[in-house]
Amino acid sequence: MLRRRLLASLDLHIVVATLSLAAIGILAIASATLDQPGRSGLWLAQSTWFALALLAAVAVVSVDYHLWAEFSFLLHGAVVVLLGLVLLLGKEVGGNRSWLVIGPITFQPSELAKWSTCLVLATYLSERGRAGVGVRQLLEMGALAGIPMALIALQPDMGTALTFVPIYVAALVLGGLRFKVLVAGTILALLLAPLAWGHLKDYQRERILTVLNPDRDPSGIGYQVRQSKIAIGSGGLMGKGLFEGTQSRLNFLPAQHTDFVLSVVCEDLGFLGAAGVLGLFYYLLFRGIASARSAQDRLGMYICLLVVAWLSGQLAINVGMVLGLLPTIGVPLPLMSYGGTALLAAMAGIGLVVNVSARRFVN
Amino acid sequence: MDYRDRFELKEYRQEQRLSRRVVLFHVGVFLLVVGYLLRFWHLQVSQGEEYARLAENNRLRRVAIAPTRGVIFDRNGEVVASTRPSLNLVLQREGLKDADRQLRRLESVLEIPYASLRERLDQIRSRPSYEPLTLKEDVGLTELAQVEARRDWFPSVLVETASRRTYPDGKAVAHAVGYVGEVSEADLALQREGLFQGDIVGKSGIERAYDEVLRGRRGWNLVEVNSLGRQIGEPRTGTPPQNGGQLRLSVDVSLQRALIEALGEETGAGVFLDPWTGEILALASTPAYDPNVFASSVTAQIWQGIAQDPGHPLQDRALTSAYAPGSTFKVVMAIAGLETGAIGPGTSVYCSGSANYYGRNFLCWKKGGHGTVSVHEALVQSCNVFFYMVGKQTGIDAIHKYGDMMNLGRLTAVDLPGEGKGVLPSPEWKQRLRGEPWYAGETISLAIGQGLLAVTPIQMATMISAVATGKVPRPHLARERTQEATPLAVSPATLAIVRAALADVVEAGTGRRASLGPIPVAGKTGTAQVFKKSAGIDADELPKDERDHAWFVGYAPATKPEIAFAVIVEHGGHGGTSAAPIVRHVLETYFADRLPPPEEGGDKLRAGVLRPNGAGSAATPAAR
Repeated sequence: MLRRRLLASLDLHIVVATLSLAAIGILAIASATLDQPGRSGLWLAQSTWFALALLAAVAVVSVDYHLWAEFSFLLHGAVVVLLGLVLLLGKEVGGNRSWLVIGPITFQPSELAKWSTCLVLATYLSERGRAGVGVRQLLEMGALAGIPMALIALQPDMGTALTFVPIYVAALVLGGLRFKVLVAGTILALLLAPLAWGHLKDYQRERILTVLNPDRDPSGIGYQVRQSKIAIGSGGLMGKGLFEGTQSRLNFLPAQHTDFVLSVVCEDLGFLGAAGVLGLFYYLLFRGIASARSAQDRLGMYICLLVVAWLSGQLAINVGMVLGLLPTIGVPLPLMSYGGTALLAAMAGIGLVVNVSARRFVN
Repeated sequence: MDYRDRFELKEYRQEQRLSRRVVLFHVGVFLLVVGYLLRFWHLQVSQGEEYARLAENNRLRRVAIAPTRGVIFDRNGEVVASTRPSLNLVLQREGLKDADRQLRRLESVLEIPYASLRERLDQIRSRPSYEPLTLKEDVGLTELAQVEARRDWFPSVLVETASRRTYPDGKAVAHAVGYVGEVSEADLALQREGLFQGDIVGKSGIERAYDEVLRGRRGWNLVEVNSLGRQIGEPRTGTPPQNGGQLRLSVDVSLQRALIEALGEETGAGVFLDPWTGEILALASTPAYDPNVFASSVTAQIWQGIAQDPGHPLQDRALTSAYAPGSTFKVVMAIAGLETGAIGPGTSVYCSGSANYYGRNFLCWKKGGHGTVSVHEALVQSCNVFFYMVGKQTGIDAIHKYGDMMNLGRLTAVDLPGEGKGVLPSPEWKQRLRGEPWYAGETISLAIGQGLLAVTPIQMATMISAVATGKVPRPHLARERTQEATPLAVSPATLAIVRAALADVVEAGTGRRASLGPIPVAGKTGTAQVFKKSAGIDADELPKDERDHAWFVGYAPATKPEIAFAVIVEHGGHGGTSAAPIVRHVLETYFADRLPPPEEGGDKLRAGVLRPNGAGSAATPAAR
């Protein structure tokens, strides 16, 4: 009885948009890697993860979000423990110790941390009662988001760590932080930026400088951005056709199936592909915001908006990077980039939104 | 307003603010997506074509196909230069593992020094990895077998087909034909049409002069590659190469061989040409080099060996070296004297062995003097004293006029690169270049071909052709380049006197060693002073490097000229003893079918040419 009602009130728009994006992602991964030695099985691996992610999403939707919220601190704590374990026992790939290996499964706890951070911050905000956001709340929420962020930064995976910033800022804004404070904080951050510059690694500085001048290093980081732009631009209006893109198929485009998967879509499917993907994302986010507005309580609204903030933040950074407008920082495109845990976490996040919207009627 | 109302108001305001912020956020997301879409439109639609071109260039690599260089034939259709296929051993740099081990094994198997290979490998490190390193060019079957037998030792060593320029006659055609090599940075910088790095171009001689004809144009294959430069799939045909054109030369390789053989170990040069057309029949300079060595990239060692050879084998002495003409200039003097009326056919002078002009004693080469001589005898016996008088009577301006008319001190415009101009001095030239006036005594020295005068062998060959035919020809090597000869403004009577004398030089005078028997030869010997002290001393008694340069110029047959020549032997002593026999050997080859078969073979001649030390004593003064 309850099940049927839940099923009837599911937001099918969100479900379709999500599944479409994940499917396009798998196609793009296949297009870029199918005839590459040692990589031809990647699309299959991603498909398997997609199935797992679907199961996880169903599980997330099935359980009332209030129950998830009750266990949110426990879940978040567990994820933080995992992040600690990664630093101790994790597998190192390409200089980053980001992966935990359990049997046949290799996964990235940092992706799960995005999900648990959204949930825990939404719970915190809703439990905070009617108090505004003072220094105490600022610091407490800072700790909730900052601890996993710091652990991830130690891996060191700066890109993933950075994706926590939009979630945290969104939580502050939702909590009623005064604009004046927000503006002051931004100014303070900008003032502190030169200090941070000194702490950046050489390659990170190089990446930032490359955005300002893409021809700076045509063989290194500039090369990647340049090849991405060539891939996108050469797609033209209609694209070269799926599995026909030369930039990605011939390996000119580095990380074509992970961070630069959108370039593959743009090369194969042209501007229409780019517009389609961005349109689907916009539609997904728009439906997420709509779910927030129709949520039965503050908790539901906070959950929806924080997940939307997470996804839109990551979208903004990834697309900006692929277009050469932002530094190449290693942020994957939600739902589409190769990476099982990321797909699972994003779908679990969207699962929370669907959960909230399905339970929008107070019963 | 009670507490509850105030609370609700606050709640309401908070709610409103939150709602405003959500709308703001929504607008933000919308603007972001629209902004990014505009950017995508810009890249994909506005600039799409430009990026499509970039992507195309990314994946298609043009692989050069070298053209086959044109064959060079001699006048009889014999091959002088051609291209043959060859095999090179190359090191594939893509996916190269244990380079050091393979290079060291190469050292042990093929004796290519490890250090030089390592150095060359490091030098091309920044080149794309699909370009291999050439280990050894033109390997033979033995070397190939040595590598193939140890295939597992050399996983990265491949055999590549290439083409190689070959010159069947090697040294014999070196300076006429030249050699080829990889295009230089300097030539590339000049951006000669259609030249690319790695192209083989003519470096000297005919190969350089007619490079545009011979080279052809490289073609391209289009090959799809990945970002590592690895080829994917079959090459697509792009532009096929255009092979080079053939070239027919006026030279006769049998004469080239005869000339280089006759010059032997001497340092010198010779030019033989058709005096009517200017077609060069043979042109050589010694020491010569083997153009086959340069066929493609030369190792630094070989290059240094050739470039630092004290004999300067790369220098083409026939075109670039200017020497004092010595007595051969008396031909010009006789013409100038007779034409200006300074002397007549019957004018005679008494030679006592020296003459005094402007307070200075000018010597004749013959200590006892020649007695009373006319212009004919003076040419035949090469009397200096007679020509001192001719010089004084004719004057520098007329001498310059006739020398210039016969192409001395100016380019002959031969179709070979690097020709030298030489010097035909005049008062105006000296004033301009040295800022000094012309001294009368200099005209006296000039009269016997000394002083500031310097001419190249090819100029002398042109000059003597003009005497033989009455026209100044334009020397050239490419058959079709024939240009009209310029008529010489000299009366037939004057030419007849000079020609008769030149025939007697070989018949009974200083050039007897060039005599061919039934075929009359006309010529003039010359001795260019190298050191002042050599004047008046029998040149053949001096050490080799202090001897004078020996000239012999002329034409044959004397009665109906077919071939004209100029030969110089550096430090050869007298022209009659060292240069004349060289000419005779070449002429014997040229007239082979018109001469009776030699009785004692060529040995006698070779003894004369190679002239071992001490043989000079055989050269009696009368033999000059």
